[in-house]
Amino acid sequence: MVIVESAGITDVGRKRKGNEDALLLDDDLRLYVVADGMGGHQAGEVASSLVVETIRDYMKRFKEDGDMEALADYHEIFSKEANRLLSCIHMANQSVHHASYSKEMYRGMGSTVSAVYFSHETLMAANVGDSPIYLVHDGSIDLLSVPHTVMAEQAALDPEGAKRLGGQFRHMLTRAMGIEETVEADICEIECFKGDILVISSDGLSDKVSPEEILGVVNKERPDRACRLLVDLANERGGDDNVTVIVLKIQKVRHEKGGIIGLISRIGQGLSNFPLKKNI
Amino acid sequence: MPTLTLKFKKKTVEKYHLKKGEALTIGRMENNDVVIENLAVSGRHAKIDSVDDGFLLTDLKSKNGSFVNKQLVSSHWLKHGDAIDIGKHTLVFACEEGEPRPDDAPAVGMDQTMVMDTAKHREMMAKSPAKMEPQMPEKEEPIGVLSFLAGGEGEVELSKKLARIGKKPSSDIVVRGLMVGQTAATISKRPNGYYLSYVEGISKPKVNGETVKKSVMLKEFDVIEIGSVKMQFVYK
Repeated sequence: MVIVESAGITDVGRKRKGNEDALLLDDDLRLYVVADGMGGHQAGEVASSLVVETIRDYMKRFKEDGDMEALADYHEIFSKEANRLLSCIHMANQSVHHASYSKEMYRGMGSTVSAVYFSHETLMAANVGDSPIYLVHDGSIDLLSVPHTVMAEQAALDPEGAKRLGGQFRHMLTRAMGIEETVEADICEIECFKGDILVISSDGLSDKVSPEEILGVVNKERPDRACRLLVDLANERGGDDNVTVIVLKIQKVRHEKGGIIGLISRIGQGLSNFPLKKNI
Repeated sequence: MPTLTLKFKKKTVEKYHLKKGEALTIGRMENNDVVIENLAVSGRHAKIDSVDDGFLLTDLKSKNGSFVNKQLVSSHWLKHGDAIDIGKHTLVFACEEGEPRPDDAPAVGMDQTMVMDTAKHREMMAKSPAKMEPQMPEKEEPIGVLSFLAGGEGEVELSKKLARIGKKPSSDIVVRGLMVGQTAATISKRPNGYYLSYVEGISKPKVNGETVKKSVMLKEFDVIEIGSVKMQFVYK
């Protein structure tokens, strides 16, 4: 069992009129999502909230109905939980895609998605687009998400060539939710440890605040205060975009023990339940 | 289309119209588009090329140089209001009212996120210098493999995102031993590589002889020991 302290904020920023970001903090489902929408006439807001709501609804159904694992696209290389999360992302992609054809003004809308989901012992980080998911472990900060931008993908193939690409490619996504009929998310599943911290954000934060600065803030502060400080920092530096951030702190990881060790520890726990009286 | 206004001592001498797709030359000789009869001006002094939606000024290794806004330049992307000094003459580059100005507003807002359409993306990737090399359509990721040194035979491909090693029969690699946990360790595939993490049990995994208490990133040829099993991590 993983015990998590969570907090999250979404802020319109200083320059934009509306907030196209959406976030989900669900301690019950142990699901945390950031979506950054795009598209004019409020379509960006529609896309990002549709992504967040669809993922939540399907995860809830998985939880309540137990094993409804008749997933059409079940992949052996992922765990059961990872398959669930991926299929929720597929559903969300489809609902945005369908909605974009329902109204003229929604045409072409899309969204990023970055989700963290805890199973009993591991955590899964999945993403489409460029909203980062950072893992802070043992004093260092690493990206768990894969940025789907022209710039990042070019850099992976040819670092020199990527430098020659103009600034307009920095925010040019190669994948997003709702643009095509299907979408492929990147996912990783890892073991987590007490003291690990996860940060999910929109590019409104990552454009203004470096990973090292994020590390500095989340290491010092509790999640709720860390979120506030990070959003304020992005706004002080211009707040050009909507800013969303979720901070998750792992308080405890308890493994379900089996075998002889489990037996001993269960006996130990059992004993401690009885108050030992010395002089009867 | 933008205009070039030739001035001498603040008086307008001539006005030229730049055309998209057409180059314009500046110099003392008669065959230039802009002729400046002054000994300070080289025969072929400079040229302006039309590139995409912009105009690029290039000095043609002139004797006295070309200056844009008092700065010596060898080449310069022209912006509305730029003053090009050649000898004692000045050429002012100006865009017409209401026409898009180069550099003023890039076609795509810098902070506006948008999705590249796939066809355009492929076309661009195809044009990029990286593609000079043999085609790399999907970047072929190297896959991690554990090959047994002791306690087993052959090798195990780490094709799963999370592989479990332990006593539990459902583990991807089953390891025996009293002190070994049901799930002693896991190996996760992350964007930047494979990570081995300790999970449970008295016997902790070792990488290159060092006990792993939490998690470590695996490097090629690392030796992993869990209970009686010894494996080497390699890329395939």
